[in-house]
Amino acid sequence: MNKFFILASGVAFAALATSASAHHSAVQFDFTKQVPIKGTVTHFRAINPHMQLILRVKDAKGEHLVEFEGHSTNNMYRNGYRKGMVNEGDVITVNVAPLKNGGEGGYVVSADLAGGTHFGMVSRSLDAAKIQQQAEGK
Amino acid sequence: MMRKLSLAVAATLLTGVALAAAPKHPDFTGVWTNAGAPAMGGTTNTAANVVLPMLPGPKARVDAYNKLVQPLGETPGGWCLGTGLPGSMLGSGGYPMEILQREEQINIVYEAHNEARRVYFGARNAPQEDRVPGRNGYSTGHWEGDTLVVETDNLVDQIDQRFAHSDEAKVVERYHLEPKLDDKGRRVLVADMTLTDPKFYSAPVTAQKRWAQVPNGRLLPYECAEEGWNARLAEIAKKAGVAVP
Repeated sequence: MNKFFILASGVAFAALATSASAHHSAVQFDFTKQVPIKGTVTHFRAINPHMQLILRVKDAKGEHLVEFEGHSTNNMYRNGYRKGMVNEGDVITVNVAPLKNGGEGGYVVSADLAGGTHFGMVSRSLDAAKIQQQAEGK
Repeated sequence: MMRKLSLAVAATLLTGVALAAAPKHPDFTGVWTNAGAPAMGGTTNTAANVVLPMLPGPKARVDAYNKLVQPLGETPGGWCLGTGLPGSMLGSGGYPMEILQREEQINIVYEAHNEARRVYFGARNAPQEDRVPGRNGYSTGHWEGDTLVVETDNLVDQIDQRFAHSDEAKVVERYHLEPKLDDKGRRVLVADMTLTDPKFYSAPVTAQKRWAQVPNGRLLPYECAEEGWNARLAEIAKKAGVAVP
């Protein structure tokens, strides 16, 4: 249910059909760490139990899509997010708790948006326990 | 003389009105959030820090369940299933809860999954045969002084709980307000929970949860199931050989 749908043309059907099989749970993320990742938004949905985000990222591997998930809509609204803040094509930086297995992606704890706006937990005062607990807020 | 008598009668009437208007019980109406350390969700006793007096058979089931889901990190909530009792009253995923209190009924809504409980008093209760089993069971309430006592049965078997239990489990919650406000000036509601279950435990299981009131607080809507329907719709469309409308 929480799999981020890869909406690139031609694969939307397959991605949607298999979306229920790849849910990432909060226990898979290392909330004691935070990594900033910059990219262009190709997909974003503020939904429960976890938001969905895909960024087009340029790094040593070249340009590719990276999937993320994050807080529930409710927790995002309580931490500054409002409708319309994130749109496809926006260049944003997300601060993520990385996957424990070293894989790409992570759990979005906060985001710095175009125009200098920000939502999410304050990364400098990261309260890993609180974030973990909210993430498990299911 | 008449004037003094009138004043005395008026004073007596006013006192009577004041007494009649005084609430019989504390009013818990409002929005409440975790009062304790976030990592514990305000709960002072969790399955993580106590050895539960669980019987061997149920323990084997719970161990098998954990072995199945924990490596994947899967949870019922991740699939939009409500927490159920006692997890709902002990943590609610860190989300707030709202209490709406009337004399004959108290409604409790946990923001996560819009999980709702209804506590009935006295004649408001449904006949036993009409009580529908569920993850939050059927709750009946009464007052012992300023303490609200909520007794819940008609629970279903839930091995996915923080305190796993069978369909024979009974939960008693005792709610009272702390006499003093906390250091942030908030009222604190304390819930002492006792779970008994002859199928699962050799002794009662207890835990305490502390909630702090959110002045003028509001719960947010929590819609969660839409993605499941979207996925199903995609399957249907694929089977029909058409695009999702």
